[in-house]
This record gives sequence, structure tokens and C-alpha cells, in this order.
Amino acid sequence: MTKSEVFETCQHHGPVPILRKEPAEPRYIDHFDARTLESALELLRRYGAAAKIIAGGLDVIGLMRKQVIAPQVLVNIKTVPGLVYTTEDAEGLKIGALTTIRDVETSEAIRQRYPILAEAAHAVGSPLVRNMATIVGNLCQDVRCWYYRRSPATGPSFFCRRKGGHECYAVDGENAYHAIIGADQCHAVNPSDMAPALLALRASLKIASPSNDRVVPLAEFYRPMGNILQPDEIITEVQVPAPLPGTGQCYLKFRVRQTIDFAISSAAAVIVTRAGVASEARIVLGGGSPAPYEAFDAEATITGKAITESLAEGAARAAVGHATPLAQNAYKVPITEALVKRAILGCLSDQT
Amino acid sequence: MLGELIPVVLRVNGDDYEVGVKPVETLLDVLREKLGLTGTPMMCDEGECGSCTVLIDGKPVLSCMTLAVECEGKDILTIEGLADPATGELHPLQRTFVERSGMQCGICTPGMILTAKALIDGNPDPTEDDVREALAGNLCRCGNYPRIAECVLAAAELMKGG
Repeated sequence: MTKSEVFETCQHHGPVPILRKEPAEPRYIDHFDARTLESALELLRRYGAAAKIIAGGLDVIGLMRKQVIAPQVLVNIKTVPGLVYTTEDAEGLKIGALTTIRDVETSEAIRQRYPILAEAAHAVGSPLVRNMATIVGNLCQDVRCWYYRRSPATGPSFFCRRKGGHECYAVDGENAYHAIIGADQCHAVNPSDMAPALLALRASLKIASPSNDRVVPLAEFYRPMGNILQPDEIITEVQVPAPLPGTGQCYLKFRVRQTIDFAISSAAAVIVTRAGVASEARIVLGGGSPAPYEAFDAEATITGKAITESLAEGAARAAVGHATPLAQNAYKVPITEALVKRAILGCLSDQT
Repeated sequence: MLGELIPVVLRVNGDDYEVGVKPVETLLDVLREKLGLTGTPMMCDEGECGSCTVLIDGKPVLSCMTLAVECEGKDILTIEGLADPATGELHPLQRTFVERSGMQCGICTPGMILTAKALIDGNPDPTEDDVREALAGNLCRCGNYPRIAECVLAAAELMKGG
């Protein structure tokens, strides 16, 4: 195939892609049902990067089918008992790693005191997806970039920077759904709905490994090309500190269909109000950057002030102040701005 | 082990099937290709459209994104298992879909009916909003949504004995 033929086949308007030399499809795969956390960790220790954890499966099976990943060993952790729970006390909320998005969406305790999590969970995929998807799977899911996910079965695949290549094909390509803010190496967006909401609540992840357990704030979890989870580690729990009295919470998601679609943009706001003044504000954007993006400028705009509509507008402008949209996605900037404004105002009417 | 078929017993529509599956074979593939249960259609094969919905332990899930090897010991219900096995009498949902034109091309219908069954099993008296919300993951490319909702509501009435 000549370069120009490749160009035509993939309808790619940017530079000609570098073709992958070897197909990623594995000849065989081993599948293990882990019966205990220890045995799952032992499998990961033994097989390292050749192993992949499978829980809800929606992301992993999709990535394997598109030959983006080619694990040789699948470690099913759905068979590990004791990882499905939501417990709540004065300290806060703990959610077991295998708890489904549906369980988060419908938990009465979460609806009462952590409504932003129920709103974000409700915004995930479709009811069928929510029955299968797990809370930690939602946090760890890979990007949906069509260059990154393009299967070699449907034409040339793109050996992009996220896969170790030298180029982000979205920059000069079809980028209507790509990042508008905080992108440098890779312009794919983190598609998670739970991540912005959990970040705004200052959640942490409990991570088990063969040697020790550690707790990592979600704010330190993401990296522009993925996250810090090591091949031999398993996230076992999401921990959320209890919101202070007078905390307002709001998650808003914009998408074309009101179901199934990933966010074109989303905004999570958690604002603590004391004596009519915002004493603490956390505003996190989803769907617009490679990792969920905390809008510190927007937070600074409202902190210490009484929230009004014009203040919320100012904060929304500040939230997208550093936006550098690509050729086809500038439309996401005003959408994001509107979501941030509405999420801030939504916190006033929705205080727990 | 490596590259070999894994023997599993799948309980589908109350029957136990002993079958060898590849580790990455989906439940959808096994239902269609190995068990001959082609009532569950394959459409998008990426977890988006809901056509391949089956009930696992009563919950509607996407069989195209479920590994068959992980379904052992679970109760799987497909569209073939809805009618009365002895008399062949259709389930009220199937009946209303036929009588009230709940389908046009019919591809989404098995998934629609199974998702609706799970809804009515959990909520015998759903509102139209409940129905629309529950079926939000099942796409109908004919755009027959109003009729589908009507059929589900009518079936719920029938199932109450009304």
C-alpha cells in the first residue's frame, strides 16, 4: 500500500500514520479466576505487565478487541469475595473496588450525603453498562481517542505517542472530541464521570500490592498518559472523606445523546458555604483533558466570597482561562464554561 | 491450558450446557456459535447498542462484553427462554410486542424485551418515565421508541393480571 492509499483508507487529514509493525493480537491468553486478593496479587507479581486485571470487563474487552492491548493473562477479580460494599460513618464513605456504578447510583447513603457521586454514576454509559461497570474500572478506564483505539482490523492503526510513538495524530487530525485544556503530549480526554466527582470530594484510593498497601489521593493518581498504578497492584477501595456541614455538590455532563455517550464536557463542583461565604471550593472538569482537570483559578475566584450569578460566571471564565482548543473543538470551551457556572450555582440549591 | 478450550457449564434458560470456550470468547459468541441460540443478535459488538442484552442472575447486561468463561454458575436468560417451554405460549412482553407492533426491523427487540422484563420484575407498576429510563441503553434504529414504551406498559398491566 502506498502512502497516499493509506491516507485515503483511514480518512485521516493529518500526517500519514506510522503503521504498527507487528499485530498485537496474542496467539493465546490464559484466564484465571482469582479466589482471594492474595492469589490475584500473586498472579500479577508472576506475570507482571503481561497480565491484565478484568472486572466489569467493558474497557478491557474493548481494548483487546481493538488490539490496543494484548495481555497474555487475564486475572478475573470478580471472584474475589469482599470487594463489593458501600459503608459510611462519621469519617466518610468507603466503596469496595468491585461495587458497580449501578450500586453507587442507587445507594441511599450516597444519594443522601454524597449526591454528586449518585449524579455522576447516573451519567455513566447506559443502564446496561452501569449494571456491569465497577467504580474502580470507571476510574481506570483508558481513553476513547479514535486514533488510539483504532483497530488494525479496520485499517491502519496509529502508533501514537500514547503507545510509545512520536506523534499525537489528533493535533492535526480529526479532533472534535479531543482535549481543550491541560494537554501536552497526548490530546485524548479522560472519559470518566466518577473521577471529576470523586476528585472534587477529595477521594483517595486504597491500593494493594504484594509488598504493602498504600493510600493515594485521587489528585495524585492520574498522569497525562494514564495513571500511577503499577502492574502488580490492585485498587481495592475508594475512600471519600465526609463532607463538611453546608457542603453543596453538583455534577453536570454535556453530551449529544442523554444516554450511552461519553462526556463532551463535564463539571463537578463541591462548595462549602459558611455564613453565606464560600469557605472552600473544588471545581473539576471532565471530558476536556487527558486527566481530570482541577480548575484552581475558578476555585480561587469564588473562595472567600458570597456566590452570585456574576461571580459564578467569572469563575467559569477562569476555569477555561488556560484552554487551548484544537482546530475542531473550540465549541467545547463555551460548553465547559456554561457547565462550570451551572455547577457552581447548582451547589447553592443542593446542600447536604 | 495455553490456547486450549476451557470446559465450562453454562446454565442458559434453565438448561445446563457443557461447552469448551476460549478464554476471550464472549458470552454472545458462545450463545450464537456454540449453543445455536441465535435469538441474541450481534450488532455493535462494543457494548454500545444493547441489542445483545441477556439477563444474568436477573440483571440485564451486555453479552458482547461478558466473557463466557466468567459465566459459570450463573443463571443466564436469553429471549429463547421467555416463552413457556411446555406450551410455547409467549411471555406477555412478547405478546404485546407482536400485537402492538413493538418492532419494526426486530433487531433490538430481544434486548428491549429482556431489559423490560428485568424492569417489570423489579417494579411491577412502572411509569412511562421508568420505562424510558430503563431502556436508555437499548438503541432502536427504526426509532420505534414510543411504541416500545407503550408495549412495555401494556405488558406490565397484563402481568399484574389487569
